[in-house]
Amino acid sequence: MERQAIQDELILYGRRFTSRLLLGTARYDSPSVLADAIAVADPALLTVSLRHQMSGAKESGASFWNLLRETKRPLLPNTAGCLSAHEAVKTGCMARELFQTNLVKLEVIADEVSLQPDPFGLVEAAMELVKLGFHVLPYCTEDWVLCRRLMDAGCEVLMPWAAPIGTGQGPRNPRALRELRQRAPQVPLIVDAGIGLPSHACQVMEWGFDGVLVNTAVSRSLDPIRMARAFANSVNAGRSAFLAGPMIEQQVAAPSTPQISRPFASDLSTLPGLRVSEPRMGTLVP
Amino acid sequence: MFVLVNGKPYPLPQSGTLAALLRSVSPPAPFAVALNEEFIARGTYDDCVVHPNDRIDIVHPTVGG
Repeated sequence: MERQAIQDELILYGRRFTSRLLLGTARYDSPSVLADAIAVADPALLTVSLRHQMSGAKESGASFWNLLRETKRPLLPNTAGCLSAHEAVKTGCMARELFQTNLVKLEVIADEVSLQPDPFGLVEAAMELVKLGFHVLPYCTEDWVLCRRLMDAGCEVLMPWAAPIGTGQGPRNPRALRELRQRAPQVPLIVDAGIGLPSHACQVMEWGFDGVLVNTAVSRSLDPIRMARAFANSVNAGRSAFLAGPMIEQQVAAPSTPQISRPFASDLSTLPGLRVSEPRMGTLVP
Repeated sequence: MFVLVNGKPYPLPQSGTLAALLRSVSPPAPFAVALNEEFIARGTYDDCVVHPNDRIDIVHPTVGG
């Protein structure tokens, strides 16, 4: 069992994680709820951000910093709120100094309504950050050409969205997501944004994605601690199902119970109402 | 003479270095700094000269998704 767990580690830029769930730290009702959610979710990484000091805010400054240190979890700073490559690079540099990590979740937002990533800004910022020695995890769409450009820029991990940030809609473009998975089989892909339910997380893990990042789906649920556990379980379930190799979907029914040596065996075609050769309206044709 | 610290006017210290300004502002740790939208590494504060109307951003860790 232990051997199996070791073999199935999530590897991001050479760092190994036993969990495949990444957890955001925003929008919790209180620091204690966040701390408890982290404890039960057991996430690989916690996403964090940077802001000007807000006086009296519980979710920033020394108290939040102390909470992060107490969790002893690896951190993934983001560049949320950046609207240009330059802003994102600057924010990444500040985050690296503050959080002491080369990892950065690169966000460059192009549209204030959908919060859709800016493909051009992403590639530009990724190239610069990679030059500066960052390990870049870009938050992107599922567009294959964009993803390829990001890989060309040196991104070894991608974070395609399921749906716009905070919507909880689940995968809006399953076909494109699955095609991305197929076309980049060696690249760790973490589905980020738009996941609303544990079933969404389970679904993308079944498709072979390497991990899931959730925030609002946990923090804005009625019981974030219970929901954090549900997401952790669903990610594990989906991953296990992927590794197990799902059955191939069939177009017709196939009995799961052996038909040979049935007790009280009878020919199905002789049962009243069950006709094989002469189907009629209102009769069941097996 | 003033600079803008997180968008608000702040008196420019006599020595004119970023280090002097930060000693005066005394932001709670930990923090990181940008000057005129360029990141300034912690070890270079003493060498970084601040001019009137410069914009200084001091940022702290906060929650994020």
